[in-house]
Amino acid sequence: MSDPAGDAKSEPKQASKEVKESENVAEKYSTMTVSKNSDVTMAELASAFSALPTHKPVKKQIQFVEDKQEFSRFPTKAGRRSLSRSISQSSTDSYSSAASYTDSSDDETSPRDKTQVNSKGSSDFCVKNIKQAEFGRREIEIAEQDMSALISLRKRAQGEKPLAGAKIVGCTHITAQTAVLIETLVALGAQCRWTACNIYSTQNEVAAALSEIGVAVFAWKGESEDDFWWCIDRCVNTEGWQPNMILDDGGDLTHWVYKKYPNVFKKIRGIVEESVTGVHRLYQLSKAGKLCVPAMNVNDSVTKQKFDNLYCCRESILDGLKRTTDVMFGGKQVVVCGYGEVGKGCCAALKALGAIVYVTEIDPICGLQACMDGFRVVKLNEVIRHVDVIITCTGNKNVVTREQLDRMKNGSIVCNMGHSNTEIDVASLRTPELTWERVRSQVDHVIWPDGKRVILLAEGRLLNLSCSTVPTFVLSITATTQALALIELYNAPEGRYKQDVYLLPKKMDEYVASLHLATFDAHLTELSDEQAKYLGLNKNGPFKPNYYRY
Amino acid sequence: MKKAYSLVNLTKAKDQEAVQSICIKQIQLGEQKQEFNKRPAKTSRHSLSRSVSQSSTDSSVYSDSSEDESSPRDRLQKNSRGQSDFCVRNIRRAECGRREIELAQQEMPALMVLRKRAEGERPLAGAKVVGCTHITAQIAVLIETLSVLGAQCRWAACNIYSTQNAVAAALAERGISVFAWKGESEDDFWWCVDRSVSLEAWQPNMILDDGGDLTHWIYKKYPSLFKKVKGIVEESVTGVHRLYQLSKAGRLCVPAINVNDSVTKQKFDNLYCCRESILDGLKRTTDVMFGGKQVVVCGYGEVGKGCCAALKALGAIVYITEVDPICALQACMDGFRLVKLSEVVRHVDMVITCTGNKNVVGREHLDRMKNGCIVCNMGHSNTEIDVGSLRTPELTWERVRSQVDHVIWPDGKRIALLAEGRLLNLSCSTMPTFVLSITATTQALALIELYNAPEGRYKQDVYLLPKKMDEYVASLHLPTFDAHLTELSDEQAKYLGLNKYGPFKPNYYR
Repeated sequence: MSDPAGDAKSEPKQASKEVKESENVAEKYSTMTVSKNSDVTMAELASAFSALPTHKPVKKQIQFVEDKQEFSRFPTKAGRRSLSRSISQSSTDSYSSAASYTDSSDDETSPRDKTQVNSKGSSDFCVKNIKQAEFGRREIEIAEQDMSALISLRKRAQGEKPLAGAKIVGCTHITAQTAVLIETLVALGAQCRWTACNIYSTQNEVAAALSEIGVAVFAWKGESEDDFWWCIDRCVNTEGWQPNMILDDGGDLTHWVYKKYPNVFKKIRGIVEESVTGVHRLYQLSKAGKLCVPAMNVNDSVTKQKFDNLYCCRESILDGLKRTTDVMFGGKQVVVCGYGEVGKGCCAALKALGAIVYVTEIDPICGLQACMDGFRVVKLNEVIRHVDVIITCTGNKNVVTREQLDRMKNGSIVCNMGHSNTEIDVASLRTPELTWERVRSQVDHVIWPDGKRVILLAEGRLLNLSCSTVPTFVLSITATTQALALIELYNAPEGRYKQDVYLLPKKMDEYVASLHLATFDAHLTELSDEQAKYLGLNKNGPFKPNYYRY
Repeated sequence: MKKAYSLVNLTKAKDQEAVQSICIKQIQLGEQKQEFNKRPAKTSRHSLSRSVSQSSTDSSVYSDSSEDESSPRDRLQKNSRGQSDFCVRNIRRAECGRREIELAQQEMPALMVLRKRAEGERPLAGAKVVGCTHITAQIAVLIETLSVLGAQCRWAACNIYSTQNAVAAALAERGISVFAWKGESEDDFWWCVDRSVSLEAWQPNMILDDGGDLTHWIYKKYPSLFKKVKGIVEESVTGVHRLYQLSKAGRLCVPAINVNDSVTKQKFDNLYCCRESILDGLKRTTDVMFGGKQVVVCGYGEVGKGCCAALKALGAIVYITEVDPICALQACMDGFRLVKLSEVVRHVDMVITCTGNKNVVGREHLDRMKNGCIVCNMGHSNTEIDVGSLRTPELTWERVRSQVDHVIWPDGKRIALLAEGRLLNLSCSTMPTFVLSITATTQALALIELYNAPEGRYKQDVYLLPKKMDEYVASLHLPTFDAHLTELSDEQAKYLGLNKYGPFKPNYYR
């Protein structure tokens, strides 16, 4: 993981995982747990959390009283979210590049001022233009093709309707992929009301398509700050409908409900939260003893993490570089800073295309892994003069400094796959003697007085979010995890989950993976009874102890 | 291993960040007696472990035939300094052993660096280490490193077959009290262990154990010794398991460090080591060519990942079978076809098992394999391939080479079974010294850590090596690759909330 906040935070998460899974899932998966475990008290847990704020670079020391400030910071939403490698974030960008083909034709009146009615006569929604529903439907159908896991979940669970009676209020990006999730929830018996977690990311036609089938959606692309909270409020605040589940991405919805409608929590069975930021806010609440319902952290499920970091970056590094620079990789000398999951993905992809890859690392264990994988471990200064491409994925700041940029050769490419925009010291390039030339969207030539050019991608922001798309398949992993988390929380027997933040049980994580195997026509082997007994495992999983990191 | 460590939890030790302990499920102390009785079946007991120490059993031993048959116990030998506090096959072989040790030193740069770095301060000054490990050239480098760092050592072998006599002689010649020879009897074994501990004037204060026999013996015979012992360092899965049993029963009266589960050691024992030895083992036994061959690898854990990477690199077409959907998805994403064994068994050229499970390849699979198919096991003892089912009258067994059997069906079909289903990498290939170096360095650092830890850092429990030490082991091995680690600037360290010199990752990070 290249994300320091993630790292720092994961420590308490881990602690909580152990405690909680043992307490609550223990009876169910008793083979995997040990009674000694329960010795870890909540006090210890709390002390683990107390270390948090200092590690947290962005949302340092947020108290509940800071709400106001929080609120006022809202327009920088994307920046705040950028800490996360969350897929939800990336879907923002993926759809600015994908076909959002309807906007220009829309009129400029705010959707709040219009009354629209869908074909069933319902007007309990607020979208840009309900008449675009058909376009949106097609988008959703395309997405369904690559989200077979959700579709098979629909089929498998449709009979029993595990979400019958669930009233889910959601706040996520509203894209075709999310729509597939929402419609899956509906198919499983839930009633849904939905709003957008980002003011720019909504696909208007998809929102329309959802409204058309009767889901109450309040979202459009280009909401104002005020619109944003109005939409959330409309979602929660309806006569005769009280939500009993929350699906959140970023924590804004949870926050709003806490602030405005604390009574609603009496009926809530649980919160499912996707993003790093939102999970962090939940842990804060939990630490402050103010979390009054169980919450599920889906951000840190094994499957999601692997896909967000290793697999996704392995593909997007090539995609991002190709789209922006049309560079050829064979024989090029590339230095990758950092050999965590992201770095491993980048190196594997580049090596496969015949690039000569160098690695820089600070951690000797990861350094040794790089050596054993056949990469030269160097210091950046040793190779900076002759490399063609520099890729940062450390989660650190100022990994590439002005001094190093000065020494790079003409035409070299600099980009960042790691963490927000701190890794490359871009500010140091904003000096009078250097000329900036925008050659393409997201591509700047920085020209030195002697004519040397360095190609800076996405102004040092995350390359994979700015310059490439996130595959639907990856979003499918997230959406499936969310759906399962909702089902788990909704159907859990009284007492399995307390007022705390949980990780998805291993078994669910494995189920998410198994639902995606069909895409690869992969045939999983089943343990025989005898073998299961020999290994001391349940035939149907979980197959690994909780601490196993794959 | 899966079975053994059901859970990691943070200990209540003061040094909570640095120390993790692993608890074992349902261990009865009552099993101890039974455990003890099982010792003649030593190899099979160890086979749970992928421990490096086990594999050193198989590395080269060249001197035996020329030696006389009288038991070393009956002979009095003296080294050139006139000492006789040792018992080896033949002290005159010391020079041969010295050359072996010097050879090993070349590939164990980390220990040599450790000698240089720590020589001045002698962090083990005053330590009296009693050890029970395989006695090979690599371990000799470790023992001599401990001596250089200030420790006094007495040593016995943890395996009745694995001792390199020449190396034992070389150590004895240098004044280290070694009690070990190749081919000890059961009785000899315990006599040697006893001799290394029971000395009036010399009471050990550190224990380095591999398999837990030494610890067990002291518990049984000399419990009062533990008053002076500062800690136990244990390498093998078996020994660690026994320590957890003691700990759970509340009978562990000194701190112990489990070096078996250190990150660096685990990665090398499984992923990297198997990645090399799968090719080596298959080549040595069958001289097979891999390009274009269809191979099915059962299991995609660390061992499976290593095997697949190596085979793919040589152009083999690799199929995977897996039970865990998460590992299965990893296999898919790495570009391997995930199948059930029965789907491909008819047309594959090789079947490699690395599941840790039993009867993964059954007789019904073997019956359907094509002529010339190679079957081998990289996983776990000898249970993965149901070899027992092949011992039927209609099948003919033909030994074609050491470790290679042709099993011939009535219709003439032959299957090449390697190492009779035992671990291929232990039976048919060597263990690189570099890997043993990782283990030995980890052991040395664990001893230093325990010996120098301030009172109270370690209680009477089983600990993992602190992350920082683990990172140090890795960093000592980097010069071999001429690898240059980047240092954090103060500003960067502050930004990340890390110490400049590590640990760099949370404890659970793998």
